[in-house]
Amino acid sequence: MLKLFKLLGNKRLFILLIGLILFIAVMGVTLGARAGLSWPEKFVKDTVGFVQYVFYKPAAYIGGLFEDISDLHALQEENEELKIALAHYTRDKARFNVIEQDNKRLQQKLDFTEAQKKQYDYIWKIAQVVSVNNDPVTNTIVVDIGSREGVREGMAVSSDLGLVGVVSRVSNFTSTVKLATTMDARDPNSNGIAVTVQGKENDVFGVIESYDSTSGTFLMSRIEDSTPIAKGDTIISSGVGGVFPRGIVVGKVTDIQVGEYGLTYTAYVEPAATFTDWKELFVVFTPEAEKE
Amino acid sequence: MRKRKYILILQLFLLFVVEGAIVPWLVPGSWQTRIFPHLVYVAILFISIYDNRHTGLVLGLCFGLLQDVVYYGALIGAYSFAMGLSCYLMGLIFRVRQAPLPLMMIVVMVGSMLLDSILFGTYRLFELTHQPYTWALMNHIIPNLFIQFIFALIVYVPLRRELEIITRRRSPEEKA
Repeated sequence: MLKLFKLLGNKRLFILLIGLILFIAVMGVTLGARAGLSWPEKFVKDTVGFVQYVFYKPAAYIGGLFEDISDLHALQEENEELKIALAHYTRDKARFNVIEQDNKRLQQKLDFTEAQKKQYDYIWKIAQVVSVNNDPVTNTIVVDIGSREGVREGMAVSSDLGLVGVVSRVSNFTSTVKLATTMDARDPNSNGIAVTVQGKENDVFGVIESYDSTSGTFLMSRIEDSTPIAKGDTIISSGVGGVFPRGIVVGKVTDIQVGEYGLTYTAYVEPAATFTDWKELFVVFTPEAEKE
Repeated sequence: MRKRKYILILQLFLLFVVEGAIVPWLVPGSWQTRIFPHLVYVAILFISIYDNRHTGLVLGLCFGLLQDVVYYGALIGAYSFAMGLSCYLMGLIFRVRQAPLPLMMIVVMVGSMLLDSILFGTYRLFELTHQPYTWALMNHIIPNLFIQFIFALIVYVPLRRELEIITRRRSPEEKA
């Protein structure tokens, strides 16, 4: 016993223990939801973000140039695909306009409130990536718009291909995006995303709660009836629950299996976004957020 | 000497910026989630071996905190703790003045393992990951180790020379 007290007399060990306690306390406090960042954090984030922006832009430009050169041979193929897509678009646009008009007229007749009408008027704001942290457990990227532009925590972020992640922390001029690959059903701070299948929105309901890093797929769980889902279907967010915006592409179904307890099904969804070589991203502003 | 020290810290900061903004572009796409070298950490390891471990501890804590705040995803403090502690421990274990190249490379390798292992342990403790340690080892710890090893080889000569200038000029002052 006396020896133990002597051990504590060792100054170095004492400081180490105090440091350990302090750090675990800091980690515990900063883990999870916080009301907002304190000003030193914001200051550091904005200053470093600005310097990183100066470096990231030319690197992205040069990186993109090499990519473009290597993609040169696929240009003709891409052109053909784009022409087909354009033809589809012009055809769909006419149909879409008619449906939109109809929808508005019906909403008017059914006495929708102003908030209900504007529920799905999302604004996709473009944001430049400033820096990347590829740590697989806390994978984050920093983008160059912040609370000055109206970004708030919990907003969805998407690339041109599909869902990327959720805004986790906001400072004045930059914000940090937590990638969807860090989602974990067992983590109380990670929220699931309600999803459905494109084209079968009324038949399918599921929740994407976690990402399986060994197979590189999202797990879409809590599917009650798996019959309408087929391999290759595109999974989009459904907006059920009202927090997460609807219509963001998540990925494609690769496999469907019976879930953990045998009552529901789990689909494996290959992400649409590549999660590499970041350039421009879109932050999805929901109208509720716009008001405040 | 003062000025040199500030220049060194500025260089570390630039390295930090490069680590987040340029390195991801140099890594091939399929490896980007697996290789994320801690270049600043390697440089601080050099400082804690060739200068002294207390400087290494303070620099490790500061730059770890910077990393934590800028890339604040889940929690603050993981990098700060891991970098500070492992820089100090490395300086404590390898208390050799004028460590030769092979010894320094061993320090870098052991240090890389230690940093990533402490980080992984912290994430496990706070239940941010549920993967086994062997997965982390194969997925990113060993690839990172190699890249950090190569980086240490590249910066060995210039960084050591710079540190020697700093320590040589200071030593008479300390004696006085």
